[in-house]
Amino acid sequence: MRRVSKIAAVACIASLALTGCGKNDDTKGSDKTSTSSADLCKDASGDGPKVGLAYDVGGRGDQSFNDSAYAGLKKAVDELGATCTEGEATDGEAESARETRLRDMADAGMNPIIGVGFAYSEAVNAVAPDYTDINFGVIDGFDPDADANDNVAYLGFAENEGSFLVGVAAAMKTQSDHIGFVGGVHNDLIKKFEAGYVAGAEAVNPDITVDVKYIEESDLAGFGDPAGGKEAATAEFDNGADVVYHASGASGSGVFEAAVDAGDGHWAIGVDSDQYLTAPAEQQSHILTSMLKRVDVATFDMIQSIADGKPLVSYQTYDLKVDGVGYSTSGGFVDDIKSDIDGYADKIKSGEIKVPTAP
Amino acid sequence: MILSGFLRKAAQPVLAPLIAVIAAVLVTSVVVTIAGASVSDFWSVMTTAPKGRNWVNIINQSSMIFLAALAAAIGFRMNLFNIGVEGQYTIASYAAALVAGYAFFPGKLNVVVAVLVAMVVGALWAGIAGLLKVTRGVSEVISTIMLNAIAGTLVGYLLSNHGEQYGQGRRTTPIPDSSQFTGWTFFGEHDGAVWSLALIAVVAGFGISFLINRTRFGFDLRATGQNEEAAVASGVQVKRMVVISMLLSGGIAGLIWMPALFGGADYYGPPFQHQLGFTGIAVALLGRNRPLGIFFGAVLFAWLSEQANPLGLVAGISPSIVQITQGVVVLAVVIAYEVVRRWSTAQEQRTLRAVLDSTPPQHEQKEVTA
Amino acid sequence: MTSLAKAPDHGADLAGGIDVRGITKRFPGVVANRDVNITIRPGTVHALIGENGAGKSTLMKILYGVQKPDEGTISVDGNEVSFGSPTDAIKVGIGMVFQHFMLADNLTVLENVALGGERLFGIGDAARAEISRISDAYGFGLDPDELVEHLGVGQRQRVEILKVLYRGARIIILDEPTAVLVPQEVDALFDNLRELRASGHTILFISHKLDEVLDIADDITVMRRGTTVGEADPKTATKLQLAELMVGSELPSPQTEESTVTETVLLELAGVNLVDERGRHLLHDIDLTIHKGEVLGIAGVEGNGQAELVETIMGMRRGTGTISLAGETMTSWPTRERREAGIGFIPEDRHRHGLLLDAPLWENRILGHQTRKPATKHGLIDRRASKADTERIVEEYDVRAPSIATNARALSGGNQQKLIVGREMSGDPLLLIAAHPTRGVDVGAQAAIWDHIKRARRLGLGVLLISADLDELIGLSDRITVILRGELVGEFDPQDVTPQDLGSAMTGGKDTA
Repeated sequence: MRRVSKIAAVACIASLALTGCGKNDDTKGSDKTSTSSADLCKDASGDGPKVGLAYDVGGRGDQSFNDSAYAGLKKAVDELGATCTEGEATDGEAESARETRLRDMADAGMNPIIGVGFAYSEAVNAVAPDYTDINFGVIDGFDPDADANDNVAYLGFAENEGSFLVGVAAAMKTQSDHIGFVGGVHNDLIKKFEAGYVAGAEAVNPDITVDVKYIEESDLAGFGDPAGGKEAATAEFDNGADVVYHASGASGSGVFEAAVDAGDGHWAIGVDSDQYLTAPAEQQSHILTSMLKRVDVATFDMIQSIADGKPLVSYQTYDLKVDGVGYSTSGGFVDDIKSDIDGYADKIKSGEIKVPTAP
Repeated sequence: MILSGFLRKAAQPVLAPLIAVIAAVLVTSVVVTIAGASVSDFWSVMTTAPKGRNWVNIINQSSMIFLAALAAAIGFRMNLFNIGVEGQYTIASYAAALVAGYAFFPGKLNVVVAVLVAMVVGALWAGIAGLLKVTRGVSEVISTIMLNAIAGTLVGYLLSNHGEQYGQGRRTTPIPDSSQFTGWTFFGEHDGAVWSLALIAVVAGFGISFLINRTRFGFDLRATGQNEEAAVASGVQVKRMVVISMLLSGGIAGLIWMPALFGGADYYGPPFQHQLGFTGIAVALLGRNRPLGIFFGAVLFAWLSEQANPLGLVAGISPSIVQITQGVVVLAVVIAYEVVRRWSTAQEQRTLRAVLDSTPPQHEQKEVTA
Repeated sequence: MTSLAKAPDHGADLAGGIDVRGITKRFPGVVANRDVNITIRPGTVHALIGENGAGKSTLMKILYGVQKPDEGTISVDGNEVSFGSPTDAIKVGIGMVFQHFMLADNLTVLENVALGGERLFGIGDAARAEISRISDAYGFGLDPDELVEHLGVGQRQRVEILKVLYRGARIIILDEPTAVLVPQEVDALFDNLRELRASGHTILFISHKLDEVLDIADDITVMRRGTTVGEADPKTATKLQLAELMVGSELPSPQTEESTVTETVLLELAGVNLVDERGRHLLHDIDLTIHKGEVLGIAGVEGNGQAELVETIMGMRRGTGTISLAGETMTSWPTRERREAGIGFIPEDRHRHGLLLDAPLWENRILGHQTRKPATKHGLIDRRASKADTERIVEEYDVRAPSIATNARALSGGNQQKLIVGREMSGDPLLLIAAHPTRGVDVGAQAAIWDHIKRARRLGLGVLLISADLDELIGLSDRITVILRGELVGEFDPQDVTPQDLGSAMTGGKDTA
């Protein structure tokens, strides 16, 4: 039995050490954006809204979803004199932990309190009725029950529309008529990305091949697993794809690494924020574009609505029309096809093209 | 002599964990310093008296961690390294939530049926690894790791394809109100309730403790763990024991999430708490596979996780840092136990020699050995 | 001497005599080596023989620096040496070839040999040249660039020998080198050893295969019960004489009492065969009967099927044929039912098969009695009764222990064995299987255990006694049968049998003095 305990201990420590390593990578990658960010909330001293921002798994430094929310927060600190506290969900945490996090913020007098990610919907629904004088926002959120909360805003996006545009870009750039998609978790939200992407690609080339892979079936760890992202993307590159779009949060850094490893002529497409700007130099030349999900806009809107005394409530949709989604041009790799992409964008805005929300 | 004997007996269960906790405190402090945060802030957050809500969460989490560790410990006691607790409780939780959601039976009977389903599914999932081991000689370490991956993917697949649409995710049908156990609200209305089914952990703890220490089956299990060949010679059918132990371990693993399901989770969906199976392995090691030790380990882990929540708010440091504390505690406990064990074995032999020397030598000591 | 730490000086004068004087090594509670004396002449093949547990391996480890002796001296070429580790032993030119090879299959011969010895000749052409030189000099026929996984067992062994020669060994210790070889390979090995001897190397050859020892050795030293008991000249000694030295006759021998043998058949084996997975017969057509009140002794050179016979009777191995106890056929019964039916079992290796070393004595009392009173009641462990009965055993069988809560590990071998005997005699057994019951126990415990076996016989039990000690067998048994290569080859009446007769039967009867 002693032998077993030794093996087990080593295995445990190894797994902890590995998780630790993963974390290190994240923070290293995020140095550019958030070196000073640790101090943003400490140093903020304005008299604007007191913002509580609760991140999803992956947290600040995911170069994606959470970082985009952070960008909105930073803008609010700079322009509205907001002050803030932040919290972050960890992988495998208790179901009660999100609720605890929100309550801690509410007890500390934060208003508004924004949960980044649909996983906060339930927790916000539980907490909001107890703090009627505080406004809550949930990015990608929804109301899980029939009782409407009049102090909660559900900030949703038309990710399928943005994904459609990068699908167009991918289809026009591919040399092999073969592209790929890597999703973090196989849920309906990410399927929405997949649907738009595939539709956009097929609008350009009906015969295009699209490989689709998901890192996890249901475990949210798929949004914080760069190794899993790399594995999935590498498989698609090996299979002949030369452009891979990811919708996998912090796992995306693995997708970029896979594109670098696959060599010249292999591209990755970022998601949520302009990932070209936060990627290391060797990856930048492989980031074709990014699907912009303007979580920063939604976050800032929410904060501003409090500052203006007209809090956002209920469902809010950020689509192409309001620039809630879009694509990035950093790096200049899509400059030559920009007019084509914008043409599709106009057709979506006018309603001429209806982008599907499910594959 | 009696006193020194007592000290020796007390040394293993008390001294070793104490050394380990002290080591973990030191190492964590160093890491906190390196991370650029204040050590005193960190420890004051960790040791603040929990508020009502935190107590509730600590108790609830402890119950699940305890069950997870208990499941792992049953295997460990007979040298079976069941790292499949994670997969076993994932698939069992899904199955139970599914059955409970269909509500084939009314009210609390529905709960009983769902809990039984969870145990059976968990046991069968673990039993696959047991069968593979005895029939094909596949190491349970390998097979349970594989089964973890299969369970996660299978549940995800079933959920995506047959689950009910729920916001951006999918879930099983929520259980009917009549099957919910609200639990006990010891503190304020908004502080949450201690789950009624957390009592399962208490029952399972006493049950397993009795089974292992007082029954013939438990003796066979321990004997097999300590010395398989001697157990065989004593008449234990090891293959049968392997399968039974895996079934038992998996059955307990199936219970892990039951308190949460009927205490407020209501359905299996995106918020499902993963990783408890692995936490359980660590806690089983920490508690030396003894129910009482596991109890303290579970409370320690739950305390650390819960208390870590405000770290970001107050001390400006990521709550993930307590994972280092947890890891170091486990590592240090294993080392400390080995050191203390050697020390007490040496003590025991010294005592023995003293006893032998004090009795008149009847024969000259002329022993030889292989 | 220290000059050898540098590049080894092959081919030059290779003196290398070892003189071992008064070596004693104690482990807690036991003495593994006691006053061991050996003189190994330089340039000879010296065989060290003895039964398992005679203390050969401890001595070997001391010579190779793995363990330090408590008393006594080792001299090499007349200079006293003291080894802190195997490295020190290699420095004075002692190399060791273990029974289990330590080679990496996926590396070449060159890489395996150079591994850890990179400073000697590097890892390139110099090393290759040196390996080829050694290989040619002693007729090893090894290609430095061949992968080890492509080599046969005999060739691998030569790689091991080459490894120690490469490191400059003049004295080579070989631990049971022939155990893994087929006869042709043995011949080849012996040719190599003769070459080595001719070039001045000294070889210490450890074995218990008497034919081989007589074939290759220049000198023979016999160990028994932890000490060196005699020397023999292979030119004049016979296998029989060696066997006698190995199993000994100088200890107080047990005296048989009046016969208590009855007509009632207790244990009967008919046509029992046991075949291993490669189709070899481990047991071949065993027919055997034990009556109430009878001690049946099984004599044989170790490894001829004794352990398999015991395990088949205990149900730990499944053979063919029928086994019945007191008239009931129990061939298909599992071990537990056989124990419940009344078989007590004193195993050959008490640590492996008889005890839970890290459990207290009273829990060890339960082992093997899990289904019977007083250990259990209604499926539950009866702690009070078990403890009380353990107290009884400790008292009656004179087990020296501070308390019954002491872990079994802390006890000396003799006391552990007395506890086992006491346990196996509880619960009114019908049959007692005693495999080497006095191996590794002190003289006092030995006498006590003999008394217990005699008492069992008086109580009307049947006893199956397996021993390597012929005096013990002759003194205790009512009948003795000899086992050779899994077959029972002869039966003797202990009243008029001599150790010589037995020895002759044990070795196949071809060797007559």
